[in-house]
Amino acid sequence: MILFKLTQNELYKIFSLIRSYIGIILFTGIVPLILWGYGMGTSHIEGQIESSVSDMFFIEGSPTNGFTAAYFIMNFFWIHIPFLLALVGGDIFAGEHANGTFRVYATRPISRLSIFTSKVLATIIYTFIFVFYFGLLTLGLGLIWHGGGDMLVFHNGVLILESSDALVRFFIAYFFSFINMVLVSSIAIFFSTMVRNAVGPVIGTMALFIFILMVSTLPLEVFKSIQPYLFTTYFSNWEQAFYDPIPWADLFRGFGLVASNIVMFLGIALIIFRRKDILS
Amino acid sequence: MTETDMTSSQDTEPNASDQGSPALACYGISKRFKTIQALDDVTLSVPRGSIFGFLGPNGAGKSTLIRVVAGLIAADKGHFDVLGNSSLKGHGVRKDMSALVDRADFYKNLSAYQNMKILGRITGHDSDEHINSLLDLLGLYERRKDKVKTFSQGMKQRLGLAQSLLPDPKLLVLDEPTTGLDPQGMHEIRDFILKIAAEQNVTIFLSSHLLHEVELICSDIALIFNGKLAAQGSMQNIFREIDSVTIELEVEDSKTTLVFLEKTDLVTQITPLANAISIEIHYNKIPELIRLMSAAKINIFSVSQRNRLENYFLSLMEGK
Repeated sequence: MILFKLTQNELYKIFSLIRSYIGIILFTGIVPLILWGYGMGTSHIEGQIESSVSDMFFIEGSPTNGFTAAYFIMNFFWIHIPFLLALVGGDIFAGEHANGTFRVYATRPISRLSIFTSKVLATIIYTFIFVFYFGLLTLGLGLIWHGGGDMLVFHNGVLILESSDALVRFFIAYFFSFINMVLVSSIAIFFSTMVRNAVGPVIGTMALFIFILMVSTLPLEVFKSIQPYLFTTYFSNWEQAFYDPIPWADLFRGFGLVASNIVMFLGIALIIFRRKDILS
Repeated sequence: MTETDMTSSQDTEPNASDQGSPALACYGISKRFKTIQALDDVTLSVPRGSIFGFLGPNGAGKSTLIRVVAGLIAADKGHFDVLGNSSLKGHGVRKDMSALVDRADFYKNLSAYQNMKILGRITGHDSDEHINSLLDLLGLYERRKDKVKTFSQGMKQRLGLAQSLLPDPKLLVLDEPTTGLDPQGMHEIRDFILKIAAEQNVTIFLSSHLLHEVELICSDIALIFNGKLAAQGSMQNIFREIDSVTIELEVEDSKTTLVFLEKTDLVTQITPLANAISIEIHYNKIPELIRLMSAAKINIFSVSQRNRLENYFLSLMEGK
C-alpha cells in the first residue's frame, strides 16, 4: 500500500514537470510530419520496391502503408528516444537533491528501499507511457493516414506479413524496445543517485550510451570479441520481431543481457542511495 | 543543581522508566566525517511535553545529531529511541515524529496544498480537512493554491512547519527553524512553535545557535561543543546554577543610582549605558538589591536580566 502511494507521488511529481512532456510534444509534432513526408514520397518508394521484386512478384495495390511507415519511423527513433528518457530518469533522484526536497521526504517513516523502489517504478511507468505513446502515434496514426494491408519486410529476401500478423509483430517489437528503453532509464537513475544536480546524470547517461554504441557498432576486429556483451548491440533487436521465423533464442539472449544490465545498474544505484548521507 | 537535574557528562544512560519513556533518548551516538568527529558518544534525554533547546556554536554537531535522528545520515555508533521506539528496529522509529531539517524546501512548481498532499499521502494524513486546518493554523490557508515559488522565506518556513505537523507527530524536531528569516519572521516562527506545543501537545526538540531565541521559548536545554555533550537540564535549574548575571536597570536618576551602587557590596561590576546601568550581580541577590534601592527612594522603571543563557554558555565554553 505504501509503495502504491509513494509511486503515485512520484508519478505526480514527474508529470508536474514540463521536461516530462518534451519528448511527447516532440513526437506529437515530428511523427505526423514524417508520415506526411512519407506519403509525399510513396511513389518513389513504391517504384524502388516494385523494381526490386518485380521478377518474383506481381504487386497489386500499394506496398507502402501504415505498417511500413511505422517500421520506417521506428528504424531511426530508437537512437533518439534515450536522450528524452534520460531527462526524466536523470532528474528522479538528483533533482530532489538539488531542490532540497529529499531532506523533507527522507525524514518520513519510510525505508530508503521503498523510496528507491517507488522512484524506479514511476520511471518505468513513465518509460512505458512514452513508448506506448510513440507506438500509438506511429502505428495508429500511420494506419489511419496510410491505411493497412500486408507488410513487406526485406530480410534475406522479401517477407510478406499479413496485416494481423504484422500487428502482432509490432507489439513484440515495441515490447523489446520498451525493455531497451528501461535500461536507458536505469542508467539515468544510476547516475542520478550519484550526484546532486540533474544535468550531470543526463550528460552521463548519454555519454555512456554513445560510447558503448560506438564500440558496439564499429566494424573493427579488436572490438568484435566484446560486442556481444555490450547492451547497445541489442538495441536494434526489435527488428528480429519481423523476421520469419522469429529468432526467439536470439531475441531472448539479447533480452537477458539487457535485463542483467538493468539489474546491475539499479542494484548499484540502490546500494549508493541506501548509504547516502543527506547533508544539505 | 543536582546530578539528576543536570548532567555534565555523556556517560549517563537516560532513564526511560521515570515518567514513561522520554520523547527522545539518544544513547552513545557517534559520527565521523573523514577527519572530523562530528558527534562523540552523545547521550541525551528529551522529556515529554518539553520545548527542548539543543544549543551549540556553529559546527558543534547540532545538525549532525538532528540528521541522525531524522534518518538523513547513519550514525557510526549508538542508537536512539523516539517515544519508546528504538532506531535499532529500523525506520519505524520515526512513526511518531516529524522533522524540519535546515530550511524548508518544496516542489516549487506545485502549490502549497499540493506539497502538503504529497507528504500527507505517505502517512495517510492527506484529507482535505486536515491539510486545510494545518494551513489555517500556520496562516497560509488563503495562499494554499499559490505555487510555492511565489512564497517569501517566512511563508516557506511556516509551510515547512505545516508539513511537519501533517502526521500528527508527538515529537517535532526542528533544526534552526528561524535561520534566514527577518526579525518579524523569526518572531512569527517562535510564536507558532509555542502555539503548536500548547495546542497540539507536541514535544519540540529545537536546535539553534541563537541563545536569545532558546531562552525565550525553551523549557529544557542541552549544550554541545565539538561533538560532545557538555550539559543538559531544565532551564530553571540551569539559571539557578548561574553565579553571576548581568542586569540592566532603567532608573530616573542615573547619577544617584551609580553612587548608591558603588557603595553597596551586592554588585560586582557596574557599567553605565546610554539609557540604563548595567550591573553584574549574584542571581539570588537581585531581590535584596531592589529592596534596598526602593528604600533609598530610587525610582526604578525597569529591571531586565540580559543574556543569562549566553553567560552560562560562555562559562561552559571557557571551562572546556
